[in-house]
Amino acid sequence: MPKIEVNRDIFFKQIGKKFTKDKLVEVLECAKGELDEVDEEHGVLKIELNDTNRPDLWSSVGLARAVRTWLTGERPAYKFFAAGKGKKATPKKRIIVDEKLKSIRSYIAAFVASGVKVDEAGLIDLIQTQEKLCGNYGRKRKSIAMGVYRSDIIAYPVNYTAADPDKTRFTPLGLEEEMSLREILARHPKGVEFGPIISGFKRFPYLKDAHGECLSLPPVINSAKLGAVEVGDASLFIELTGTDLNTLLLACSVVACNMADSGYEIEPVSVEYPFETPYGQTIVTPFYFQKPVSFRLSEAVRLLGDKIAASEALACLKRMGNSVKRGSAKPAPSGAEGLTTGGAKSADVFVLQPPPFRNDFMHPVDAIEEIMMGRGLGSFSPIQPEAFTVGRLSPREEFTRRAREIMVGLGYQEMIYNYLGAKADIVGKMKGDGTDLLEIANPMTENYEAVRNSILPNLLATEAGSANAVYPHRFFEAGRIARLDPSENYGSTTRVFLSLFVADRAADFNAVSADLSGLMYYLSREYVLEPLDDPRFIKGRSARIMVEKECVGVMGEVHPQVLEAWGVQTPCVAAEIDLDLLRA
Amino acid sequence: MNNNTILEGLHPLEIKLLLGLPQEESLTAAAIEAKLGYNTSQANQVLSWLAQKGLVREAARRTIVSYALTDLGKDYLEKGTPEELILNSLKNGPIYVSELAQKTGLEQKDAGSSFGQMSKKGFLYVTEDKHISTKAADEEIRAIFVTPKKVLLQRLSSSESIPEDELDNDARALASELGAKRGSARSPIKILEREAVTFAFAPEAAEIRSALQARGVTGDEIGALTPEILSSGEWKNRGFRSFNVGAPPARVIPGRKNAYVEFLDKLKDKLVSLGFEEFDGPMVESDFWNCDALFMPQSHPARDIHDVYYVKNPTHARKIAEPFLSRVAAAHENGWETGSLGWRYPFDRDFTRRLVLRSQGTGISAQTLTRARIPGKYFGVVRCFRYDKIDATHLADFYQTEGIILGEGVNLRTLLGLLKMFATEVAGATEVKFVPAYFPYTEPSVEVHIKHPQLGWFELGGSGIFRPEVTEPLGVTVPVLAWGLGIDRMALMALGLNDLRHLFSNDLEEVRLMRRS
Repeated sequence: MPKIEVNRDIFFKQIGKKFTKDKLVEVLECAKGELDEVDEEHGVLKIELNDTNRPDLWSSVGLARAVRTWLTGERPAYKFFAAGKGKKATPKKRIIVDEKLKSIRSYIAAFVASGVKVDEAGLIDLIQTQEKLCGNYGRKRKSIAMGVYRSDIIAYPVNYTAADPDKTRFTPLGLEEEMSLREILARHPKGVEFGPIISGFKRFPYLKDAHGECLSLPPVINSAKLGAVEVGDASLFIELTGTDLNTLLLACSVVACNMADSGYEIEPVSVEYPFETPYGQTIVTPFYFQKPVSFRLSEAVRLLGDKIAASEALACLKRMGNSVKRGSAKPAPSGAEGLTTGGAKSADVFVLQPPPFRNDFMHPVDAIEEIMMGRGLGSFSPIQPEAFTVGRLSPREEFTRRAREIMVGLGYQEMIYNYLGAKADIVGKMKGDGTDLLEIANPMTENYEAVRNSILPNLLATEAGSANAVYPHRFFEAGRIARLDPSENYGSTTRVFLSLFVADRAADFNAVSADLSGLMYYLSREYVLEPLDDPRFIKGRSARIMVEKECVGVMGEVHPQVLEAWGVQTPCVAAEIDLDLLRA
Repeated sequence: MNNNTILEGLHPLEIKLLLGLPQEESLTAAAIEAKLGYNTSQANQVLSWLAQKGLVREAARRTIVSYALTDLGKDYLEKGTPEELILNSLKNGPIYVSELAQKTGLEQKDAGSSFGQMSKKGFLYVTEDKHISTKAADEEIRAIFVTPKKVLLQRLSSSESIPEDELDNDARALASELGAKRGSARSPIKILEREAVTFAFAPEAAEIRSALQARGVTGDEIGALTPEILSSGEWKNRGFRSFNVGAPPARVIPGRKNAYVEFLDKLKDKLVSLGFEEFDGPMVESDFWNCDALFMPQSHPARDIHDVYYVKNPTHARKIAEPFLSRVAAAHENGWETGSLGWRYPFDRDFTRRLVLRSQGTGISAQTLTRARIPGKYFGVVRCFRYDKIDATHLADFYQTEGIILGEGVNLRTLLGLLKMFATEVAGATEVKFVPAYFPYTEPSVEVHIKHPQLGWFELGGSGIFRPEVTEPLGVTVPVLAWGLGIDRMALMALGLNDLRHLFSNDLEEVRLMRRS
């Protein structure tokens, strides 16, 4: 979940009022935000945002907009989205896209923001927006990368090209010398970090202006010349590149709306592709691409469980920044924000047009949740579920409990263990061959590299570490194991085992055999013991536990070679039973 | 200690001593043995007990020396003393000095010193040609150098030890000369010293004595009650000795349920009592049920290789059951028939068969939907696996508690009612707060925070109403409430622990001692 640092001054200025800490906690609920910490010294609010699909909230300005809209019911109108409509003139500033990029990093979106001199706080917030958008939402720049430039020294149109990584050279931001694109990937810190996104391609994405001057090597690094933005700059060119068009357009809209809220004039840019895109060969960005969502008020009432008047629903949706109309849906012309409705009006049908900075409406339930958020969760009172249902434990749990009760009565201490372990313990020390071992493909450490195939390694580990506990040691676990089983769809099976263990100077086969007999008697199972040849046990003092000619478990005196491997110096006797087989 | 306490705690040996000897009697172990017929250790023990109770006090103390035979002494008795061996070998005529040790079988040092003693007194001498010869009759020398020693050793061999005042002066001098304190390998006699203490009754003893007499206590009361005493009826004529009921009891090591498992048992019982039916599933799960069926997009960050344990072999399930696979795939791609836009990406049918260690129990909730009754309530307390560094608050495998409620009439408000019920019934909360949340598979989503009497405010769990993209492909058209509870903190609190690793402790002693606080 993203955590952001909000500049308190910007935040309160944008909202138009200040809050106490308690009030702040309360209003942040409308953005699913939690106040983690207030840094008084730096005037920073550290806030965790729970919704991973709301990148519009991941900046001081964006979060302030959500709170302000929720409090006032009024969201700013962003007129620059209308630029795509036919009646306005095509933007003067253009980006020409190279055909070769289609299979490398197809899409770019951009705009120019001007009219405000960048100050330090604004720059920090812009950088945070960039980091969260590209790092978190843009999956570490894989699907979104963003660059900011000084617009007044760029010669338009800008060319988004696929460049030869060895012949193309420029001076990257942060270094003094000119180097080839490939050298940047190898030597610049950002090249090392983000280079792998493009290093597999023959040509690299490359952004240059009409004079051939480099803007950047997306998604890696800006040029030191055009891409060095400083406090005091008044006109910025902002571009975003990526692989998924909707994600990219959303990110572009988020940044544009944030900057508009900060007072910038947004000037759209026309992007011209040599290939088809879902929105045509020319896309004027920022671009409104969202589809309307319609839902029935009756459905909202059913899901939320409360009476909600139509007027209240409308107000709630508006507080969340949505445009909404009643009637059947008819999408607005593509590219423009706003809503037109037509057709026969139905009192029950609502059509919601998401704000341009959001793309998290997939299903009518998402719109219905907006009503809940707009009204506030606190306004819904809890009621008890009414339907009668019978509660019961699983048959497996019932049987396991029965066996555990008997074990406790026989004087054993119950244990509970972790199921993951080291191969050295599960296989090596147990003198097994590991053929049925369920291994993890990506273990984090060698302590957790496989699922246990028996409880005995856990019991021996306990004995090895408990020589100072009063003897005799009698303990058991009823727990799960897993082992490979080619007959299963998943190639493995999970079973409930019961393993018991006695360690004592005088421990021998007969003592544990007596306990086993008690256990089986009270589980009402007839069994016989047959000789067993198993490296874990002493031959001639170990047995297979047979129930109706099926082997349900083993028991015996633990072989000294196993005890030695575990560093145990007390005689041990153990039994292990498959409770699932025994229950059947 | 007051007199009553003392009276209740007196042992028969103490009672008999108090009653059997007058107040002015001088008390020594030997006297007690003689007068009351106690053995030595009983006599010493009873004096020590009475001294601890303040009923007798030390009156005098002296050191008693006694002598005992060492292994070397026993050797001398068996094979002869060094002097005896020298005289035996001289019987056949003079021997060279250099031959002495070899002829007598003695060590050079012992042979030398024994010869030295006898020659110093003038009974043996060395001739000019280096022979040893005698100056007196053999019997005469033996009477001085052999007989007294052998008599003494013989005497000591007759008992464990002999006090010095039982020996005559000559014997005592000889024993002291031959002896060594604590015994030595080079000495035939060991000198033993012990403190002999004489006690006297304290004035309090007189009070206790009178009280015993007043109560008619004799010290012959019944100690252990035996079948024989019961069958003979002997108990009718004798009283019972009082035991010290305040004495610390012995430790027992009982058979016991594990305290954490018992906590989980109680939790399951509580959920059953609220009408929930338990579900269960294998540890290995396909990506399909672990995530895809829950409408988590396949590129979701939580599905990264660094967040889930993948199974090494086999890596993929053979098949995923239809019609669920096709419907879920369509739900991701275009919303299927749910009215959703879907995530709008090409669903990877190979990736969905990948096998993982179950990272959440919600996958089993989803599978339960395919066979659930309506209305229905289901729960599971299931082991899950998480790719995490292990520390006090993170484990590689741990329990998750979660479940679902299906029904025509369930909605957001019943979800809140359910959470409130959990908060009070399961967690014993005093206050409840609901916070809107985000989960990929529920909409709306709600977190419940509770004020616990001991732990203060914390997040008890997450919940929501399953998205139609989750329920409809699995054949369920009614709303489904889904919930999960974080019960680890309550478990730690209940067991007085502060580290999750201790819940699964390997340490037998720790587990034996663990209990509900």
